[in-house]
Amino acid sequence: MHFQTLDWIILVVYLVVTVYVGIRARRYVENLEGYFVAGRRVKVALGSATLIATEIGIVTFMYLGELGYVTGFACFVLGIIGFIGYAVIGKTGFIVSGLRALNVITIPEFYELRFSRGVRVLGGILLFLGGVLNMGVFLKMDGLFLTSMMGFDPSVLALVMTLMLVIVIAYTVLGGMFSVVITDFIQFVVLSIGMLVATLAVLSHVGFGEIAAAVQTHLGSAGVDPVANPRFGWTFLVWMLIGSVALSALNQPAASKSFASENPEVGRKVFLYTGITLAGRYMIPMFWGVAALAVFGPGVETTLAMPRLLSMVVPSGFLGLMVAGMLAASMSTYSAYMLAWSSVGTRDIVSPLRKIALTERQTITMTRVITTTIGVFILVFGLWYELPSTVFQYTAITGAMYAAGAFGCVVAGLYWRKANTAGAYAALALGGTAPVVFLVLSLSTPELPESLRFLLDVNISGFLSFLLAALGMVIGSLLTQRTHPPIVITPRTGSDHE
Amino acid sequence: MSNAALVWIVIYCIAAMLFFGAAVVIGFVGAKDLKDLLSRSDRTR
Repeated sequence: MHFQTLDWIILVVYLVVTVYVGIRARRYVENLEGYFVAGRRVKVALGSATLIATEIGIVTFMYLGELGYVTGFACFVLGIIGFIGYAVIGKTGFIVSGLRALNVITIPEFYELRFSRGVRVLGGILLFLGGVLNMGVFLKMDGLFLTSMMGFDPSVLALVMTLMLVIVIAYTVLGGMFSVVITDFIQFVVLSIGMLVATLAVLSHVGFGEIAAAVQTHLGSAGVDPVANPRFGWTFLVWMLIGSVALSALNQPAASKSFASENPEVGRKVFLYTGITLAGRYMIPMFWGVAALAVFGPGVETTLAMPRLLSMVVPSGFLGLMVAGMLAASMSTYSAYMLAWSSVGTRDIVSPLRKIALTERQTITMTRVITTTIGVFILVFGLWYELPSTVFQYTAITGAMYAAGAFGCVVAGLYWRKANTAGAYAALALGGTAPVVFLVLSLSTPELPESLRFLLDVNISGFLSFLLAALGMVIGSLLTQRTHPPIVITPRTGSDHE
Repeated sequence: MSNAALVWIVIYCIAAMLFFGAAVVIGFVGAKDLKDLLSRSDRTR
Protein backbone atom coordinates (compact mmCIF):
# COMPACT_ATOMS: atom_id res chain seq x y z
CA MET A 1 0.00 0.00 0.00
CA HIS A 2 1.39 3.44 -0.95
CA PHE A 3 -0.56 5.38 1.63
CA GLN A 4 1.12 5.88 5.01
CA THR A 5 -0.35 6.99 8.35
CA LEU A 6 0.42 10.67 7.76
CA ASP A 7 -1.35 10.54 4.40
CA TRP A 8 -4.42 9.06 6.04
CA ILE A 9 -4.48 11.75 8.72
CA ILE A 10 -4.37 14.50 6.12
CA LEU A 11 -7.10 12.87 4.06
CA VAL A 12 -9.44 12.29 7.00
CA VAL A 13 -8.99 15.84 8.31
CA TYR A 14 -9.84 17.21 4.89
CA LEU A 15 -12.99 15.09 4.56
CA VAL A 16 -14.19 15.96 8.07
CA VAL A 17 -13.73 19.70 7.46
CA THR A 18 -15.60 19.43 4.16
CA VAL A 19 -18.55 17.62 5.74
CA TYR A 20 -18.79 20.07 8.61
CA VAL A 21 -18.58 23.17 6.46
CA GLY A 22 -20.85 21.84 3.75
CA ILE A 23 -23.65 20.88 6.11
CA ARG A 24 -23.38 24.07 8.18
CA ALA A 25 -24.02 26.05 5.00
CA ARG A 26 -27.67 25.11 5.29
CA ARG A 27 -28.19 28.16 7.49
CA TYR A 28 -27.65 30.44 4.49
CA VAL A 29 -30.40 28.95 2.34
CA GLU A 30 -33.42 31.20 2.75
CA ASN A 31 -35.27 30.74 -0.52
CA LEU A 32 -35.19 29.30 -4.02
CA GLU A 33 -32.59 31.74 -5.29
CA GLY A 34 -30.47 30.98 -2.29
CA TYR A 35 -30.66 27.25 -2.90
CA PHE A 36 -29.96 27.26 -6.63
CA VAL A 37 -27.73 30.31 -7.20
CA ALA A 38 -26.55 31.37 -3.73
CA GLY A 39 -28.78 34.44 -3.86
CA ARG A 40 -26.89 35.77 -6.88
CA ARG A 41 -24.28 37.37 -4.60
CA VAL A 42 -21.15 35.63 -5.78
CA LYS A 43 -18.33 37.98 -6.84
CA VAL A 44 -15.62 37.48 -9.47
CA ALA A 45 -12.83 35.78 -7.52
CA LEU A 46 -15.10 33.44 -5.61
CA GLY A 47 -17.04 32.66 -8.80
CA SER A 48 -13.80 31.88 -10.58
CA ALA A 49 -12.61 29.59 -7.78
CA THR A 50 -15.84 27.61 -7.76
CA LEU A 51 -15.93 27.38 -11.56
CA ILE A 52 -12.35 26.09 -11.71
CA ALA A 53 -13.02 23.56 -8.93
CA THR A 54 -16.19 22.39 -10.70
CA GLU A 55 -14.47 21.90 -14.01
CA ILE A 56 -11.55 19.87 -12.70
CA GLY A 57 -12.27 16.35 -11.54
CA ILE A 58 -10.21 13.19 -11.27
CA VAL A 59 -11.67 12.11 -14.60
CA THR A 60 -10.21 15.30 -16.09
CA PHE A 61 -6.77 14.43 -14.76
CA MET A 62 -7.12 10.85 -15.97
CA TYR A 63 -8.23 11.77 -19.47
CA LEU A 64 -5.70 14.57 -19.89
CA GLY A 65 -2.89 12.50 -18.37
CA GLU A 66 -3.74 9.69 -20.78
CA LEU A 67 -3.67 12.12 -23.72
CA GLY A 68 -0.24 13.36 -22.65
CA TYR A 69 1.03 9.80 -22.39
CA VAL A 70 -0.14 8.75 -25.86
CA THR A 71 0.25 11.99 -27.86
CA GLY A 72 3.16 13.79 -26.17
CA PHE A 73 3.23 17.56 -26.52
CA ALA A 74 0.75 17.54 -29.44
CA CYS A 75 -2.24 17.47 -27.05
CA PHE A 76 -1.14 20.78 -25.49
CA VAL A 77 -2.97 22.45 -28.39
CA LEU A 78 -6.23 21.57 -26.59
CA GLY A 79 -5.20 23.86 -23.76
CA ILE A 80 -4.79 26.69 -26.24
CA ILE A 81 -8.12 25.92 -27.92
CA GLY A 82 -9.88 25.83 -24.56
CA PHE A 83 -8.30 29.14 -23.61
CA ILE A 84 -9.53 30.69 -26.88
CA GLY A 85 -13.06 29.47 -26.18
CA TYR A 86 -13.11 31.01 -22.72
CA ALA A 87 -11.41 34.18 -23.94
CA VAL A 88 -14.10 34.69 -26.58
CA ILE A 89 -16.83 34.29 -23.98
CA GLY A 90 -14.98 36.26 -21.31
CA LYS A 91 -14.24 39.26 -23.52
CA THR A 92 -17.55 39.45 -25.35
CA GLY A 93 -19.99 37.99 -22.84
CA PHE A 94 -21.19 35.75 -25.67
CA ILE A 95 -24.19 33.80 -24.37
CA VAL A 96 -23.38 34.08 -20.65
CA SER A 97 -24.13 37.80 -20.27
CA GLY A 98 -27.34 37.46 -22.24
CA LEU A 99 -28.57 34.60 -20.08
CA ARG A 100 -27.50 36.23 -16.82
CA ALA A 101 -29.37 39.44 -17.77
CA LEU A 102 -32.57 37.41 -18.03
CA ASN A 103 -32.16 36.08 -14.47
CA VAL A 104 -32.62 32.47 -15.53
CA ILE A 105 -31.51 29.66 -13.28
CA THR A 106 -31.30 26.94 -15.94
CA ILE A 107 -30.74 27.02 -19.68
CA PRO A 108 -34.09 25.36 -20.52
CA GLU A 109 -35.75 28.18 -18.54
CA PHE A 110 -34.49 30.44 -21.32
CA TYR A 111 -36.20 28.19 -23.84
CA GLU A 112 -39.60 28.89 -22.28
CA LEU A 113 -38.99 32.63 -22.23
CA ARG A 114 -37.92 32.71 -25.84
CA PHE A 115 -39.80 29.80 -27.43
CA SER A 116 -42.41 27.73 -25.56
CA ARG A 117 -42.98 25.50 -22.56
CA GLY A 118 -42.77 22.41 -24.80
CA VAL A 119 -39.30 23.40 -25.95
CA ARG A 120 -38.31 23.85 -22.33
CA VAL A 121 -39.48 20.33 -21.44
CA LEU A 122 -37.78 18.69 -24.46
CA GLY A 123 -34.60 20.68 -23.86
CA GLY A 124 -34.74 19.79 -20.18
CA ILE A 125 -35.08 16.07 -20.90
CA LEU A 126 -32.13 16.07 -23.32
CA LEU A 127 -30.02 18.14 -20.95
CA PHE A 128 -30.87 15.94 -17.97
CA LEU A 129 -30.29 12.62 -19.78
CA GLY A 130 -27.10 13.75 -21.49
CA GLY A 131 -25.75 15.30 -18.32
CA VAL A 132 -26.48 12.39 -15.99
CA LEU A 133 -25.20 9.80 -18.47
CA ASN A 134 -22.13 11.94 -19.05
CA MET A 135 -21.17 11.80 -15.41
CA GLY A 136 -21.88 8.08 -15.19
CA VAL A 137 -18.25 7.18 -15.91
CA PHE A 138 -16.72 9.67 -13.49
CA LEU A 139 -16.79 7.38 -10.48
CA LYS A 140 -15.18 4.52 -12.42
CA MET A 141 -12.33 6.75 -13.50
CA ASP A 142 -11.97 8.09 -9.97
CA GLY A 143 -11.72 4.53 -8.75
CA LEU A 144 -8.96 3.64 -11.22
CA PHE A 145 -6.96 6.69 -10.21
CA LEU A 146 -7.27 6.14 -6.47
CA THR A 147 -6.45 2.44 -6.78
CA SER A 148 -3.17 3.37 -8.43
CA MET A 149 -2.41 6.19 -6.03
CA MET A 150 -3.36 4.55 -2.78
CA GLY A 151 -2.63 0.93 -3.63
CA PHE A 152 -6.06 -0.19 -2.51
CA ASP A 153 -7.80 -3.46 -3.13
CA PRO A 154 -10.89 -2.82 -5.34
CA SER A 155 -13.30 -3.92 -2.57
CA VAL A 156 -11.92 -1.29 -0.19
CA LEU A 157 -12.05 1.23 -2.96
CA ALA A 158 -15.80 0.70 -3.41
CA LEU A 159 -16.23 1.63 0.25
CA VAL A 160 -14.12 4.77 -0.12
CA MET A 161 -16.01 5.91 -3.21
CA THR A 162 -19.36 5.25 -1.55
CA LEU A 163 -18.31 7.28 1.48
CA MET A 164 -17.15 10.15 -0.70
CA LEU A 165 -20.40 10.18 -2.66
CA VAL A 166 -22.50 10.06 0.51
CA ILE A 167 -20.62 13.09 1.86
CA VAL A 168 -21.17 15.03 -1.34
CA ILE A 169 -24.85 14.10 -1.55
CA ALA A 170 -25.34 15.14 2.08
CA TYR A 171 -24.00 18.66 1.80
CA THR A 172 -25.38 19.27 -1.70
CA VAL A 173 -28.88 18.20 -0.69
CA LEU A 174 -28.90 20.23 2.50
CA GLY A 175 -27.14 23.43 1.52
CA GLY A 176 -27.63 23.66 -2.24
CA MET A 177 -25.48 26.22 -4.03
CA PHE A 178 -24.24 27.78 -0.77
CA SER A 179 -22.73 24.43 0.25
CA VAL A 180 -21.37 23.97 -3.24
CA VAL A 181 -19.75 27.43 -3.32
CA ILE A 182 -18.17 27.16 0.13
CA THR A 183 -16.88 23.62 -0.33
CA ASP A 184 -15.79 24.43 -3.89
CA PHE A 185 -13.62 27.23 -2.56
CA ILE A 186 -11.97 24.96 0.02
CA GLN A 187 -11.55 22.32 -2.65
CA PHE A 188 -10.03 24.87 -5.03
CA VAL A 189 -7.36 25.76 -2.47
CA VAL A 190 -6.57 22.11 -1.66
CA LEU A 191 -6.65 21.15 -5.33
CA SER A 192 -4.24 23.94 -6.35
CA ILE A 193 -1.78 22.93 -3.62
CA GLY A 194 -2.09 19.29 -4.70
CA MET A 195 -1.36 20.17 -8.33
CA LEU A 196 1.68 22.22 -7.33
CA VAL A 197 3.01 19.39 -5.17
CA ALA A 198 2.55 16.86 -7.99
CA THR A 199 4.19 19.11 -10.60
CA LEU A 200 7.25 19.81 -8.44
CA ALA A 201 7.55 16.13 -7.57
CA VAL A 202 7.43 15.12 -11.23
CA LEU A 203 10.01 17.74 -12.26
CA SER A 204 12.36 16.69 -9.47
CA HIS A 205 12.26 13.16 -10.84
CA VAL A 206 12.51 13.72 -14.60
CA GLY A 207 13.76 16.80 -16.47
CA PHE A 208 12.48 18.60 -19.56
CA GLY A 209 15.34 17.29 -21.71
CA GLU A 210 14.61 13.70 -20.83
CA ILE A 211 10.90 14.21 -21.51
CA ALA A 212 11.52 15.84 -24.89
CA ALA A 213 13.87 13.00 -25.87
CA ALA A 214 11.25 10.40 -24.95
CA VAL A 215 8.61 12.15 -27.07
CA GLN A 216 11.01 12.25 -30.02
CA THR A 217 11.97 8.60 -29.60
CA HIS A 218 8.50 7.11 -29.11
CA LEU A 219 6.25 9.48 -31.07
CA GLY A 220 8.38 11.41 -33.54
CA SER A 221 6.69 14.36 -35.25
CA ALA A 222 3.25 13.15 -34.08
CA GLY A 223 4.39 14.01 -30.57
CA VAL A 224 4.77 17.71 -31.33
CA ASP A 225 2.48 18.37 -34.31
CA PRO A 226 -1.29 18.03 -33.59
CA VAL A 227 -2.14 18.11 -37.30
CA ALA A 228 0.24 15.23 -38.02
CA ASN A 229 -0.95 13.22 -35.02
CA PRO A 230 -3.39 10.47 -36.17
CA ARG A 231 -5.62 11.00 -33.11
CA PHE A 232 -6.14 14.67 -33.94
CA GLY A 233 -5.88 16.29 -37.36
CA TRP A 234 -7.77 19.32 -38.69
CA THR A 235 -11.27 17.79 -38.27
CA PHE A 236 -10.68 17.22 -34.60
CA LEU A 237 -9.20 20.67 -34.03
CA VAL A 238 -12.11 22.48 -35.71
CA TRP A 239 -14.66 20.38 -33.81
CA MET A 240 -12.85 21.08 -30.55
CA LEU A 241 -12.84 24.83 -31.26
CA ILE A 242 -16.61 24.88 -31.85
CA GLY A 243 -17.18 22.55 -28.93
CA SER A 244 -14.97 24.66 -26.70
CA VAL A 245 -17.12 27.77 -27.12
CA ALA A 246 -20.40 25.84 -27.00
CA LEU A 247 -19.63 23.64 -24.03
CA SER A 248 -17.90 26.40 -22.08
CA ALA A 249 -20.94 28.66 -22.23
CA LEU A 250 -23.67 26.05 -22.11
CA ASN A 251 -22.37 23.47 -19.67
CA GLN A 252 -25.10 23.85 -17.06
CA PRO A 253 -22.90 23.20 -14.01
CA ALA A 254 -20.49 25.91 -15.19
CA ALA A 255 -23.27 28.21 -16.39
CA SER A 256 -24.85 27.95 -12.93
CA LYS A 257 -21.81 29.69 -11.51
CA SER A 258 -22.31 32.52 -13.98
CA PHE A 259 -26.02 32.71 -13.06
CA ALA A 260 -24.98 32.92 -9.39
CA SER A 261 -22.91 36.03 -10.13
CA GLU A 262 -23.87 39.47 -8.85
CA ASN A 263 -24.62 40.77 -12.33
CA PRO A 264 -23.94 40.01 -16.05
CA GLU A 265 -20.64 41.88 -15.99
CA VAL A 266 -19.37 39.76 -13.10
CA GLY A 267 -20.65 36.64 -14.87
CA ARG A 268 -18.60 37.56 -17.94
CA LYS A 269 -15.49 38.29 -15.88
CA VAL A 270 -15.75 34.93 -14.12
CA PHE A 271 -15.28 33.30 -17.50
CA LEU A 272 -12.45 35.65 -18.45
CA TYR A 273 -10.41 35.06 -15.31
CA THR A 274 -11.21 31.36 -15.31
CA GLY A 275 -10.07 31.21 -18.93
CA ILE A 276 -6.66 32.56 -17.97
CA THR A 277 -6.12 29.41 -15.94
CA LEU A 278 -7.58 27.01 -18.48
CA ALA A 279 -4.46 26.36 -20.54
CA GLY A 280 -2.62 25.51 -17.32
CA ARG A 281 -5.46 23.32 -16.08
CA TYR A 282 -5.19 21.24 -19.24
CA MET A 283 -1.44 21.24 -19.73
CA ILE A 284 -0.38 20.47 -16.15
CA PRO A 285 -1.93 16.97 -16.00
CA MET A 286 -1.04 16.42 -19.67
CA PHE A 287 2.56 17.15 -18.73
CA TRP A 288 2.43 14.53 -15.98
CA GLY A 289 1.31 12.07 -18.66
CA VAL A 290 4.17 13.04 -20.99
CA ALA A 291 6.57 12.62 -18.06
CA ALA A 292 5.10 9.13 -17.50
CA LEU A 293 6.07 8.31 -21.10
CA ALA A 294 9.65 9.33 -20.31
CA VAL A 295 9.75 7.25 -17.13
CA PHE A 296 7.91 4.07 -18.19
CA GLY A 297 8.08 4.09 -21.99
CA PRO A 298 4.98 3.33 -24.09
CA GLY A 299 4.16 -0.13 -22.72
CA VAL A 300 2.00 0.79 -19.71
CA GLU A 301 -1.81 0.76 -19.79
CA THR A 302 -2.54 4.27 -21.00
CA THR A 303 -5.14 5.20 -18.40
CA LEU A 304 -2.91 4.24 -15.49
CA ALA A 305 0.47 5.58 -16.59
CA MET A 306 0.05 9.05 -15.11
CA PRO A 307 -1.36 7.99 -11.70
CA ARG A 308 1.33 5.34 -11.45
CA LEU A 309 3.99 8.00 -11.94
CA LEU A 310 2.47 10.25 -9.29
CA SER A 311 2.26 7.44 -6.76
CA MET A 312 5.96 6.78 -7.42
CA VAL A 313 7.36 10.31 -7.20
CA VAL A 314 5.19 12.11 -4.63
CA PRO A 315 6.58 11.52 -1.10
CA SER A 316 4.44 10.42 1.84
CA GLY A 317 2.66 13.28 3.58
CA PHE A 318 2.49 15.14 0.30
CA LEU A 319 0.78 12.10 -1.21
CA GLY A 320 -2.07 12.48 1.26
CA LEU A 321 -2.31 16.18 0.41
CA MET A 322 -2.31 15.42 -3.29
CA VAL A 323 -4.97 12.73 -2.99
CA ALA A 324 -7.04 15.11 -0.85
CA GLY A 325 -6.64 17.61 -3.67
CA MET A 326 -7.77 15.08 -6.24
CA LEU A 327 -10.72 14.02 -4.11
CA ALA A 328 -11.50 17.70 -3.67
CA ALA A 329 -11.52 18.06 -7.44
CA SER A 330 -13.98 15.21 -7.80
CA MET A 331 -16.24 16.22 -4.96
CA SER A 332 -16.63 19.75 -6.30
CA THR A 333 -17.47 18.34 -9.71
CA TYR A 334 -20.01 15.88 -8.33
CA SER A 335 -21.74 18.48 -6.15
CA ALA A 336 -22.03 21.06 -8.92
CA TYR A 337 -23.15 18.52 -11.50
CA MET A 338 -25.70 16.88 -9.23
CA LEU A 339 -27.18 20.24 -8.28
CA ALA A 340 -27.24 21.35 -11.91
CA TRP A 341 -28.98 18.25 -13.25
CA SER A 342 -31.42 18.01 -10.36
CA SER A 343 -32.39 21.65 -10.79
CA VAL A 344 -33.03 20.95 -14.48
CA GLY A 345 -35.06 17.86 -13.59
CA THR A 346 -37.21 19.78 -11.08
CA ARG A 347 -37.60 23.14 -12.78
CA ASP A 348 -37.55 22.15 -16.45
CA ILE A 349 -39.21 18.72 -16.55
CA VAL A 350 -41.39 18.10 -13.49
CA SER A 351 -42.57 21.62 -12.76
CA PRO A 352 -43.65 22.64 -16.29
CA LEU A 353 -45.64 19.42 -16.68
CA ARG A 354 -47.70 20.01 -13.54
CA LYS A 355 -51.02 21.81 -13.69
CA ILE A 356 -50.39 23.48 -10.35
CA ALA A 357 -47.00 25.12 -9.90
CA LEU A 358 -44.67 23.75 -7.24
CA THR A 359 -44.20 25.93 -4.19
CA GLU A 360 -40.68 27.02 -3.27
CA ARG A 361 -40.50 24.43 -0.55
CA GLN A 362 -41.75 21.67 -2.85
CA THR A 363 -39.21 22.70 -5.50
CA ILE A 364 -36.33 22.47 -3.05
CA THR A 365 -37.59 19.13 -1.69
CA MET A 366 -38.02 17.67 -5.18
CA THR A 367 -34.51 18.85 -6.09
CA ARG A 368 -33.10 17.15 -3.03
CA VAL A 369 -34.84 13.89 -3.94
CA ILE A 370 -33.54 14.00 -7.51
CA THR A 371 -30.03 14.85 -6.30
CA THR A 372 -30.03 11.79 -4.07
CA THR A 373 -31.40 9.62 -6.89
CA ILE A 374 -28.68 10.82 -9.26
CA GLY A 375 -26.09 10.06 -6.60
CA VAL A 376 -27.35 6.50 -6.20
CA PHE A 377 -27.44 6.05 -9.98
CA ILE A 378 -23.83 7.25 -10.30
CA LEU A 379 -22.73 4.87 -7.57
CA VAL A 380 -24.40 1.84 -9.12
CA PHE A 381 -23.52 2.81 -12.69
CA GLY A 382 -19.97 3.79 -11.79
CA LEU A 383 -19.00 0.78 -9.76
CA TRP A 384 -20.54 -1.85 -12.00
CA TYR A 385 -20.64 -0.39 -15.51
CA GLU A 386 -17.93 -1.64 -17.88
CA LEU A 387 -16.27 1.32 -19.55
CA PRO A 388 -16.43 1.48 -23.36
CA SER A 389 -13.18 1.19 -25.32
CA THR A 390 -12.62 4.95 -25.17
CA VAL A 391 -13.87 7.20 -22.43
CA PHE A 392 -13.47 10.10 -24.79
CA GLN A 393 -16.06 8.63 -27.20
CA TYR A 394 -18.57 8.09 -24.44
CA THR A 395 -18.19 11.56 -22.91
CA ALA A 396 -18.09 13.27 -26.30
CA ILE A 397 -21.30 11.64 -27.44
CA THR A 398 -23.25 12.20 -24.23
CA GLY A 399 -21.97 15.77 -24.15
CA ALA A 400 -23.03 16.39 -27.74
CA MET A 401 -26.54 15.10 -26.94
CA TYR A 402 -27.30 18.30 -25.13
CA ALA A 403 -24.66 20.76 -26.32
CA ALA A 404 -25.41 20.73 -30.04
CA GLY A 405 -29.12 21.48 -29.78
CA ALA A 406 -28.58 23.87 -26.88
CA PHE A 407 -26.00 25.84 -28.81
CA GLY A 408 -28.38 26.24 -31.75
CA CYS A 409 -31.29 27.28 -29.53
CA VAL A 410 -29.44 29.65 -27.23
CA VAL A 411 -27.30 31.41 -29.83
CA ALA A 412 -30.21 31.85 -32.23
CA GLY A 413 -32.56 32.73 -29.38
CA LEU A 414 -30.27 35.47 -28.09
CA TYR A 415 -28.90 36.88 -31.34
CA TRP A 416 -31.37 36.14 -34.18
CA ARG A 417 -34.81 37.74 -34.08
CA LYS A 418 -36.33 35.21 -36.48
CA ALA A 419 -35.60 32.18 -34.27
CA ASN A 420 -38.92 30.60 -33.29
CA THR A 421 -40.45 27.57 -31.58
CA ALA A 422 -40.47 25.33 -34.67
CA GLY A 423 -36.78 26.04 -35.27
CA ALA A 424 -36.01 25.29 -31.62
CA TYR A 425 -37.73 21.90 -31.76
CA ALA A 426 -35.83 21.04 -34.93
CA ALA A 427 -32.50 22.13 -33.44
CA LEU A 428 -32.99 20.07 -30.28
CA ALA A 429 -34.25 17.00 -32.12
CA LEU A 430 -31.50 16.95 -34.75
CA GLY A 431 -28.75 17.92 -32.31
CA GLY A 432 -29.75 15.12 -29.96
CA THR A 433 -30.34 12.53 -32.67
CA ALA A 434 -26.98 12.71 -34.45
CA PRO A 435 -24.93 11.40 -31.48
CA VAL A 436 -27.42 8.61 -30.88
CA VAL A 437 -27.23 7.57 -34.53
CA PHE A 438 -23.47 7.43 -34.22
CA LEU A 439 -23.71 5.19 -31.18
CA VAL A 440 -26.16 2.84 -32.89
CA LEU A 441 -24.16 2.64 -36.12
CA SER A 442 -20.96 1.91 -34.23
CA LEU A 443 -22.57 -1.30 -32.94
CA SER A 444 -22.88 -2.65 -36.49
CA THR A 445 -19.59 -1.56 -37.99
CA PRO A 446 -18.95 -4.65 -40.22
CA GLU A 447 -22.36 -4.40 -41.88
CA LEU A 448 -22.07 -0.70 -42.61
CA PRO A 449 -21.58 0.24 -46.30
CA GLU A 450 -18.24 1.84 -47.11
CA SER A 451 -19.95 5.07 -48.15
CA LEU A 452 -21.36 5.53 -44.63
CA ARG A 453 -18.22 4.61 -42.68
CA PHE A 454 -17.34 8.27 -42.26
CA LEU A 455 -20.22 8.50 -39.78
CA LEU A 456 -18.21 6.30 -37.41
CA ASP A 457 -15.60 9.01 -37.02
CA VAL A 458 -16.48 10.57 -33.65
CA ASN A 459 -15.03 13.92 -34.78
CA ILE A 460 -17.26 14.03 -37.85
CA SER A 461 -20.26 12.89 -35.84
CA GLY A 462 -19.72 15.60 -33.25
CA PHE A 463 -19.27 18.23 -35.94
CA LEU A 464 -22.39 16.97 -37.73
CA SER A 465 -24.51 17.23 -34.58
CA PHE A 466 -23.76 20.96 -34.35
CA LEU A 467 -24.28 21.47 -38.07
CA LEU A 468 -27.62 19.63 -38.13
CA ALA A 469 -28.84 21.53 -35.06
CA ALA A 470 -27.95 24.85 -36.70
CA LEU A 471 -29.64 23.86 -39.96
CA GLY A 472 -32.69 22.71 -38.07
CA MET A 473 -32.97 26.05 -36.30
CA VAL A 474 -32.47 28.17 -39.43
CA ILE A 475 -34.63 26.17 -41.84
CA GLY A 476 -37.29 25.37 -39.27
CA SER A 477 -37.61 29.03 -38.27
CA LEU A 478 -37.59 30.45 -41.79
CA LEU A 479 -40.27 28.03 -43.00
CA THR A 480 -42.65 28.80 -40.13
CA GLN A 481 -42.40 32.53 -39.54
CA ARG A 482 -46.11 33.09 -40.13
CA THR A 483 -47.47 30.11 -38.22
CA HIS A 484 -45.04 30.53 -35.30
CA PRO A 485 -44.16 34.22 -34.96
CA PRO A 486 -40.95 34.74 -32.93
CA ILE A 487 -41.18 35.93 -29.36
CA VAL A 488 -39.08 38.94 -28.45
CA ILE A 489 -37.77 39.19 -24.91
CA THR A 490 -35.91 41.92 -23.09
CA PRO A 491 -33.85 41.56 -19.89
CA ARG A 492 -36.03 41.44 -16.79
CA THR A 493 -39.10 42.81 -18.60
CA GLY A 494 -40.82 39.58 -19.64
CA SER A 495 -41.85 38.63 -23.17
CA ASP A 496 -43.98 39.99 -26.02
CA HIS A 497 -45.05 38.43 -29.29
CA GLU A 498 -43.57 40.12 -32.33
CA MET B 1 15.59 18.87 -28.07
CA SER B 2 13.70 19.91 -31.21
CA ASN B 3 12.48 23.48 -31.70
CA ALA B 4 8.85 22.33 -31.59
CA ALA B 5 9.39 20.55 -28.27
CA LEU B 6 11.12 23.63 -26.87
CA VAL B 7 8.21 25.84 -27.96
CA TRP B 8 5.68 23.53 -26.26
CA ILE B 9 7.74 23.44 -23.08
CA VAL B 10 7.90 27.23 -22.98
CA ILE B 11 4.14 27.43 -23.57
CA TYR B 12 3.61 24.88 -20.82
CA CYS B 13 5.74 26.86 -18.36
CA ILE B 14 3.83 30.06 -19.12
CA ALA B 15 0.48 28.26 -18.76
CA ALA B 16 1.51 26.63 -15.49
CA MET B 17 2.76 29.92 -14.02
CA LEU B 18 -0.47 31.65 -15.08
CA PHE B 19 -2.48 28.93 -13.39
CA PHE B 20 -0.58 28.94 -10.10
CA GLY B 21 -0.28 32.73 -10.08
CA ALA B 22 -4.00 33.14 -10.70
CA ALA B 23 -4.70 30.49 -8.07
CA VAL B 24 -2.85 32.55 -5.46
CA VAL B 25 -4.72 35.76 -6.37
CA ILE B 26 -8.08 34.00 -6.60
CA GLY B 27 -7.38 32.27 -3.30
CA PHE B 28 -6.79 35.47 -1.35
CA VAL B 29 -9.44 37.64 -3.02
CA GLY B 30 -11.88 34.73 -3.09
CA ALA B 31 -11.57 34.30 0.67
CA LYS B 32 -12.59 37.94 1.07
CA ASP B 33 -15.52 37.42 -1.35
CA LEU B 34 -16.62 34.34 0.58
CA LYS B 35 -16.57 36.20 3.88
CA ASP B 36 -18.62 38.98 2.31
CA LEU B 37 -21.12 36.52 0.80
CA LEU B 38 -21.67 34.71 4.08
CA SER B 39 -22.04 37.89 6.12
CA ARG B 40 -24.66 39.20 3.69
CA SER B 41 -26.52 35.89 3.54
CA ASP B 42 -26.55 34.71 7.16
CA ARG B 43 -30.25 34.39 7.94
CA THR B 44 -29.62 33.59 11.62
CA ARG B 45 -28.47 37.18 12.28
